Amino acid sequence: MRDFIGTLRLRLVELGCPITHVRRMVREVADHREDLEQAAVSEGLSGADAEARADALLGDPLVLAEHLMTALRRSSWWGRHHIVAFCLLPLLAYPILWALLLLCQMALGFALGYGWDLKKLHVAVNNPVTFYHLSMVFQCTDYVAIALVALLFCWLARRSAVSLKWMAISCAICSLAAVITYAKIGPHSFSVGFSMNNHLHMPWFRGAIPLLVAGAVHVFQRRTARRFPEKIAV
Amino acid sequence: MVGGNVAAMKKTNPSFLNGVPELLVLRLLSSREMYGYQIVEEIRIRTGAALSFGEGCIYPYLHYLEAEKQVSSQRREVDGRNRNYYKLAARGRKRLEELTSEWNRVTAGVAQLMGVQHA
Repeated sequence: MRDFIGTLRLRLVELGCPITHVRRMVREVADHREDLEQAAVSEGLSGADAEARADALLGDPLVLAEHLMTALRRSSWWGRHHIVAFCLLPLLAYPILWALLLLCQMALGFALGYGWDLKKLHVAVNNPVTFYHLSMVFQCTDYVAIALVALLFCWLARRSAVSLKWMAISCAICSLAAVITYAKIGPHSFSVGFSMNNHLHMPWFRGAIPLLVAGAVHVFQRRTARRFPEKIAV
Repeated sequence: MVGGNVAAMKKTNPSFLNGVPELLVLRLLSSREMYGYQIVEEIRIRTGAALSFGEGCIYPYLHYLEAEKQVSSQRREVDGRNRNYYKLAARGRKRLEELTSEWNRVTAGVAQLMGVQHA
């Protein structure tokens, strides 16, 4: 039991199958295997022979894992349309999502820091020291917005169980988009846009953020895969 | 040449070859809810073993149908065993009607041709 089911489970995790799906798939195949065993025993086979027959009927667990993953990928729009979802969409959606997230964070900061009071904000930005701190916070907000967009595409790739390649491609496109977009803040102005020569502080770091996010998600996925077999038993 | 013909056939009528398992599963589930092993056994028995699903292959298929909202599943305990029971959803019933009418059209056409050839 442990060999067939254990191999299937491990392969599913290695292929990047989300854990909730692994649990369900493994449980169903284990139920099916038990039914096959019971049928063989009722035909007069010994326990070991029944187990061997059930394994033979179910076939190679590695091949079965591939079939299960293919079905899982085909079941979502993201999984069926890799190129549109992970190449074209990041390019088109990145500027919108990034700008929206940036504005949301700024609105949240304004509400929490100044209670929507414009007068307080004016006083703060007219003070060079406070403005310096505000611009630092703004820069961090920009980085967080970039990371969140990359994380969204990583999450979609993981959820639709597509290969690591597609997650990396979507993050590379986000990285490119992060390099050519900019967000600037002045004492009485704020601007976002596209520019190949935006004179931002550390522009390479903006480009590196999506790649760092992809790397972190991949490491997390690998750690989960290593720990998973001990955590879950059928 | 043969490969080209198959490709052309698939392009013009993909469901001609691919819709049969879907039709069988939906047809079985239209009468009552069943679990994976039961579906495989029913197909084998009711087709006189002329057709059979690979034992493990039914689950990718059922999961696909569930994602397409053609069937729904529920884990239930029956006779001391916990199993995932699948039942036909409204979308599946509609799809079954489409596939049945397509199947009847195709088999009638084939029967007609075979009849002409035999005559």
